[in-house]
Amino acid sequence: MLLCTLFLLLLAGAFIMPVRGEFQKIHETPMLIWLKAQPLEITWWLWGALIVLALLTANTLFCSVESIIKKRNVTHWLLLISPQIIHIGFLFFLLAHLFSSLGGYRYYAGAREGTQLDIDNTTALQVQNIQISLTPDGYITDWAVDVAFVAGGKVLQQDRLLPNKPSIFGGAGIYAKDFRVYPEKAVLLEISREPGARWALIGGILFMAGTITLLVLKIKMEG
Amino acid sequence: MWLAFAVVPCYVFALWKRPLLYLGLLLQLTYLFIRGAALERLPLVGPHDTLTFMSAAIVALSMPFYNAQKRQAPLLSCVALLAAVFTIFALVSTQHNAPLPPVLKTIWFELHVVLAFLSYALFGIAAVLGFLSLKDKDPYFELLQYKAILVGYCLFSLSMIFGGVWAYLAWGTYWLWTPKELWTSLLWLFYSLYLHARLRPWWAGRPSAILGIAGFGVVLFTYLGVSLLMKSSHTF
Repeated sequence: MLLCTLFLLLLAGAFIMPVRGEFQKIHETPMLIWLKAQPLEITWWLWGALIVLALLTANTLFCSVESIIKKRNVTHWLLLISPQIIHIGFLFFLLAHLFSSLGGYRYYAGAREGTQLDIDNTTALQVQNIQISLTPDGYITDWAVDVAFVAGGKVLQQDRLLPNKPSIFGGAGIYAKDFRVYPEKAVLLEISREPGARWALIGGILFMAGTITLLVLKIKMEG
Repeated sequence: MWLAFAVVPCYVFALWKRPLLYLGLLLQLTYLFIRGAALERLPLVGPHDTLTFMSAAIVALSMPFYNAQKRQAPLLSCVALLAAVFTIFALVSTQHNAPLPPVLKTIWFELHVVLAFLSYALFGIAAVLGFLSLKDKDPYFELLQYKAILVGYCLFSLSMIFGGVWAYLAWGTYWLWTPKELWTSLLWLFYSLYLHARLRPWWAGRPSAILGIAGFGVVLFTYLGVSLLMKSSHTF
C-alpha cells in the first residue's frame, strides 16, 4: 500500500516537474531548503513522498524485526536475513538522500589558466594548465586540468582533473563542467559537496549483496 | 547497414521457421560488433544503437525460457514479433556516429547502459510471458514471468547503482532530479511493488501477470517516452 502510494505520488511529480520552471533550480541548494521556498501547488507530491518514505522506513524496520523473530527457527539462515539486508540497503539509500537534502552545496566558477579562486578564507584553488584535445570538426575528445590548492603561499595539494576523475579536497569535489577553447582556453569548474554519497554507496553494496544472495538461493532451491 | 535490414525478415519469418530467429540474432550481433569496431566503442548511444541492442537482448535472453517449457512456439512467435518491431524502429532512427564525449569514456557508463538494456529486455520477455499466461490460462507462464522479472530487477538495480557511481565521479552527485531519473525510480518502484505483491497469495496468478505486462509499459515510457517527449540531460 505504501509502495503503491509512493509510486502514484512520484508519478504525479513526473508530469508536474517538466512543465514548471521552478524545478530547474532544484539542484542549486539542498533539496529541503529549496522545497520550503516553493509553492505547495507544485511540491505537494514531493512532500507527500517524504511523508510516505518516513512511514515506509518505520514499516520496513518493524516488518524486518517481526520477520526475523517469526522465522528464527528456519534452517537456512541466509534465506532469512538476505531480504533484511536488501531492506537495510534501501534504508541507507533513504538516509543518503536525507543527508544530501539537508546539507551539501554546489558552486560554479569560470577560470582561465593562471586564475586563482578562493575556496574559503584561507585556501585558494589555482588553475595551472588546461589541455583540450579536439577533432577537426571541433568535438572535444579529451581534456585535463592541472590544479593546485594553495594556502599562505604554500601548495597543499596538486592534482589533475580528468573526465570522471575529480579532485577531492577537504571533503569537497572539484569538477570540470565545460570548456571554452577560443579566444583563450577556459574551464567552468564546479565545487560541490555531497554528504549522502558515502551512505548511498554503502546502501548500494548492501542492497546488491542481499539481492544477489536471494537470487542465488532461489535458483539453488529450484534446481 | 544491410546486415541490420536483413534481420527484419529473419525475425518475421521466424514465426514459421524457428532457425531464422537464431540467424536473425547472429546477423544482429554481427552488425553490432562491426558497428562497435568502426566506432571504436560500445555501440550504445542514441536510439538506433540502443533499440538494436535491446532487440538482440530480447531474443538472446528469451532462449532459457524456451528451453524451460514444452510448448515453445507461442513464446518464440511473440519474442520474434517484439524483436522485429524494435529492429524496425531502430532502422528508422538516426545513427549517432559522433565521437563519444570524454565523460562517457568510462567502464561505469558501459556497465550502466548494458545492464539497463539487458534488464529492459527481461522486462519485455516478462510482459510476453504474462500475456501468454493470460491467453492460455497457463500458470507456468506466470511463474516464468516472475523469474524473468526477478533477474531483470537485479540487473536494473545494479544498473542504477553503477549509474549513481558514474554520476558522482562525472558530475559530483549520485542523483539528479531530472525526468529520466524520476521515471527510472518509478520503474524500479513498480517492479519492487510487483515483487512484494506477488508474495501475497491473492496477487499470484492473473493479477501478477497483468502487473508484469503493465510494467513493460513503464519501461517503454522510461526508455523512449522520456527521451522523445521530455527535456532531460539524460537521454537514451
